[in-house]
Parts: sequence; C-alpha cells; structure tokens
Amino acid sequence: MASERNPSQADTTLQLVIDSIRDYAIFRLDPDGRVASWNLGAQLIKGYTADEIIGKPFTQFYAPEDVAAGRPRRLLDHARAYGRVEDEGWRVRKDGTRFWADVIISAIRDRSGALVGYAKVTRDLTERRAQEEARLLEAARFRAIVDSTRDYAIFMLDPGGYVTTWNLGAERAKGYHAGEIIGRHFSVFYPEEQVSRGYCERELENALRDGRFEDEGFRVRKDGSQFWANVVITPLYDSDGKHMGFSKITRDLTERRKWEADRLQLVQANEAVRLRDEFLSIASHELRTPLMALQLQLDLALEQTKTTDPKSASKLERASRNATRLSELITALLDVGRISSGAMTLNPVTTDLGALVHEVVDRLAEAAAAAKCDVTVTVDPGIIGVWDPMRVGQVVSNLLVNAFKYAAGTAVEVLVLRKGEGVEMRVRDHGPGIAQGDRERIFSRFERASARSLGGLGLGLYVAHQIVTAHGGSIHVDAAAGGGAVFVVDLPLTARTVEAA
Amino acid sequence: MKHHILVVDDDPEIRETIVELLRDRGYEALGASDGVEALSALRSRSPWCLILLDLMMPNMDGWQMRKEQLADPAICTIPVVVVSATTDVPQVARSLHAVDFVTKPTRLTQLLETVERYCPA
Repeated sequence: MASERNPSQADTTLQLVIDSIRDYAIFRLDPDGRVASWNLGAQLIKGYTADEIIGKPFTQFYAPEDVAAGRPRRLLDHARAYGRVEDEGWRVRKDGTRFWADVIISAIRDRSGALVGYAKVTRDLTERRAQEEARLLEAARFRAIVDSTRDYAIFMLDPGGYVTTWNLGAERAKGYHAGEIIGRHFSVFYPEEQVSRGYCERELENALRDGRFEDEGFRVRKDGSQFWANVVITPLYDSDGKHMGFSKITRDLTERRKWEADRLQLVQANEAVRLRDEFLSIASHELRTPLMALQLQLDLALEQTKTTDPKSASKLERASRNATRLSELITALLDVGRISSGAMTLNPVTTDLGALVHEVVDRLAEAAAAAKCDVTVTVDPGIIGVWDPMRVGQVVSNLLVNAFKYAAGTAVEVLVLRKGEGVEMRVRDHGPGIAQGDRERIFSRFERASARSLGGLGLGLYVAHQIVTAHGGSIHVDAAAGGGAVFVVDLPLTARTVEAA
Repeated sequence: MKHHILVVDDDPEIRETIVELLRDRGYEALGASDGVEALSALRSRSPWCLILLDLMMPNMDGWQMRKEQLADPAICTIPVVVVSATTDVPQVARSLHAVDFVTKPTRLTQLLETVERYCPA
C-alpha cells in the first residue's frame, strides 16, 4: 500500500485531509491532556485558532461544573484504560457559548505500547439535538393533548384492528380502562349484528382504500349500553410508507342527537298548540253563531208567551237559561284553552274599578234574581287603576256566578277597597262555605268544591285565578265570619303583566 | 217616521231573526249578508239610523266594510254597533270607531236596549 511504501508522504496526505475537514473537530492531546494539534473543523466549532490553543489544557473546552466534577480527567483515564471513550454533552466555545458535542477520545500508543497522547474527534450536535428535542417535545405535547382529551375517544389500532393505545376520552365514552381494552379487537365496540355482517373489517378496508373512513352509528359501551357515535378512522404509515395501523377518533353524539330530537318535538308541540288555539277560536265562533240565533228566538218566544201561555213561558225560560249556560261554557273553554297555552293577552287600560263592578252586577241582575241572591256593592270612591276591564269584569262575574250557584238564596256582598299600594276586592256569600281542605284545590281546573251536581265544568274559579295572576295579583278564599265563603282578590294598581301559568 | 236599521251578518238565521224582531218593534230593518251588500244598501237610500255589523263575513268582512263606509262622506256618519262572537269585541269596536258593541250570543233585551239607545222608538 502507498502508506507502507512511503510512510511520510502518506502521513502528509492524511494530515491534509484532516486539516480540511470542517464538520468534525479532529485534534491531538499530549499524554497530559494539552492540545497538540488543531484542524479547521476544531477552529470552526470551538472558535480558537491553532496558535491560541496549542499547548493549552483541553479542560478549557469543558463547562466549569464538569471540570469541578472531574469529568475531563475521567474521560482521559477511561480512554487510557480501555483505548477509547465516547461522550455526549455540553462543551464551551472560546466566546463562552455552549454547544452540544458528540466526542470520541482514543488513546494513541507507540509500538512499545507507551501512551503518546489522545486523538479527539468532536462533532457539534447542537442543531440536531435541538431538532430532536423539538420533536420529542412535540410528541409529548401531542401525547398530552390526546391523553387529556375528554370529549373525543382517540386511540390506535394495529393493522389487524387490535387496540394499542387508549385515552381519557375513550375511557369516558366506552367505559373501559386502558388496561382492560389494549390488546382487544375493536369489534367489541360494535353491536353484535354489525360484527356478524363483517362491518368492522369493511371499515378498515375502506379506510385503507380511501385514506379515511367516516361513519355515524350506534356503538356499544362496556356495560352493553349503546350510544350514537361519529367515527373517523385514518390509516397510519411510518416514514418508509409501511402500514402501522389506524387512528380512530370517536365522538359521542348522544347529547346532540337528543337535542335535535327535543328541538323537533318542541316545534311539533308548538305547532300542535297553535292548531289547537286556532281550532278553539274557530269552534267557539262557530258555536256561538247558532247559539245567538237560538237565544234570540227563545227570548222572542218567551216574550210572546209570557202573558198568553205562562206554562210554555216557564219551559222556554228554562230552555233560554240553558242556552245561556251553554254560551258561558263555550267562553270558559276558549279561555282555558288560551290560558293553558299562555296566550292570555291583557289589554290594560285606565279603569274605574267601582264602575266596572257595578256594571257587572247590573248585567247579572237577572241571574241574581233567578238564584234569589240579593247583591249589595260597597266601593271606596275613585279607585282607578290600569287593568284589562274585560278580564277583571270576568273575575267579578265568575265569582258572583259561583256564589249564585253554591249559595243560592243568600245575600251576596261585593266590597272594593283600597289596600296599601293596591286594591282588594271581596265577594262574600252566606252559603255553606268551603272546607279548609278544598280552599286551594278549587282554583285548579275541573275542580268543584262539592260533589253536588250543579252544572258547569268547574272552570270559573280557575279562569279567575289565571286572570288575577296574569295581572300580578292574587286570589284566595276564606271562611267568612258568621258562615259562608269570602273570595279575596288582591290587585296591584297597575297590572304587572305576567305570563299566564 | 220609522228608523232604518241595517243588519249585516252572513248567517241567515241570525240576520233574519234580528230583522224580524226589529220589525216587530216598529223599526224598518233590512238585512245584508256581507260588506258589499251592506255598502250598496246604505247608498241606495237615506237616512239610516244604525248599522248592526258582524265582523267575520265572506266577500267583504266587517273591517273592510267599515273602512269603505268611513271613506264615503255620504254614509260615513251612520253609527255602527259591532255584533260579534270574537272575544276581544270591546277592543275591535274601539278600533273601528263603533259607538257600541254586542257580544254574541246576546240576550234579546240587551240587543234591544242597545238599539233603542241610538234609535229611540
């Protein structure tokens, strides 16, 4: 070989090669660890020129803490004992900055075996280390994100479909701990009928073929319950393009599905209420029209027979009274329909309550006479407020009709008085009164205080209660001193518009 | 001289009953089954004492009829009493500038009292 024929020329050539290498610091140390040679790479990496460093101890390439710990010395000892030492760590440049170095120190011995020095090859790995660190950090961060994700089940399958990783979201969605599911086939997440149809395998095949597979459907939890899931399966390949398995992201859509179902139901319910209101409105109008003709004809016939044929007149009167009852029921039904759908709208205007009460009592004079009830009205003068007069009139009328029905033949007193910031209205009868246990119940729908068949659907008090509540007031019933019932209505002077319950 | 009253209602039973009973009381009553008939009746003679006006009618309803009546100087001063089965009759009557209202169904005496208020016998 050339080196054997002309050793000195070969040495010179080798020295030239070494001198010109830029990416590795290659230099020699004497047996005491002083720098004995220096190449271009050493100068570029460490910043010293050959003149500055030759003859200096190599310990100055080390950080003070490493020197204090005896690290340079130990490396040389090791190289001397074993021929070679490899190290990775921080080294210091001339300007004090540090770099991450990969170092190999080899002992150099002469033919007799005596140590003549050390060859040191150092490579700057700072950049590579930074990339490596960044990649590790990135992977760790990603891992942390995946692990802590609660709302998505994120896990991996090997190429055969066996679970290899498991996150918190997966645990939450499916109910398995990592320890009990890793290693099992992902078909356990599918309903039996899908597994038997080969659905799971087809999902993986499709993911491989198309690069992605997305699906929505029922999946099975550990406890056997099912949930509606959105699933995305993506095949994973390593840097050489080898198939590593699949990532699977599953989201529990039960809530969303439920929400959508609820919304649909609400829309349908609203539509049903609207249709019912419309029906009630049309029906009541249509019912009242023939009732009007009937009522007028009955009244006419009654009038004509009153003097000539008293027997027929009394029958016609009874018929007429029932026609009136029928019309009141229709009105009540419509009110209940509106109230229960929250559609009772008030039209509050400035109203003289005393005048309104007198008007209602006058209008019911006939009914009062029929029930043989003597109605007296006592009103504080000048009670003016803002209410819906038609509705408040209806309250008075319902309470009076109630009294006529249950306390027929007794005196009925209506009292309207100022009370604090509002108004109190009392309707008192001298009938049997209302038992303690019935006093709340009678304001609900279809309730009547007594089982006696007295007609009516028991809607009057319910409607009164709803109207008073809608005005921001309250209504209750007490036992009157000396017997009978007293209904007490409290109203604010101005209706505080409240949605009907 | 007899008072002339126009009864506007699409329901023949109601219309004829009211016309009949008003005639019994000595009024000159005439029926119209919708707004169009009502307007042409009102324009065909003079004077009129009162209009009893139903609201929900085919062809031309009570609201439209009242609007056209108010736009015609020849007939705009004839008073209107709204006769309707709608629950909010008082408000509707006010919005139509009607002198009064009657809620269907009504008793004979109430209807007659209302008419007599504007057309004393």
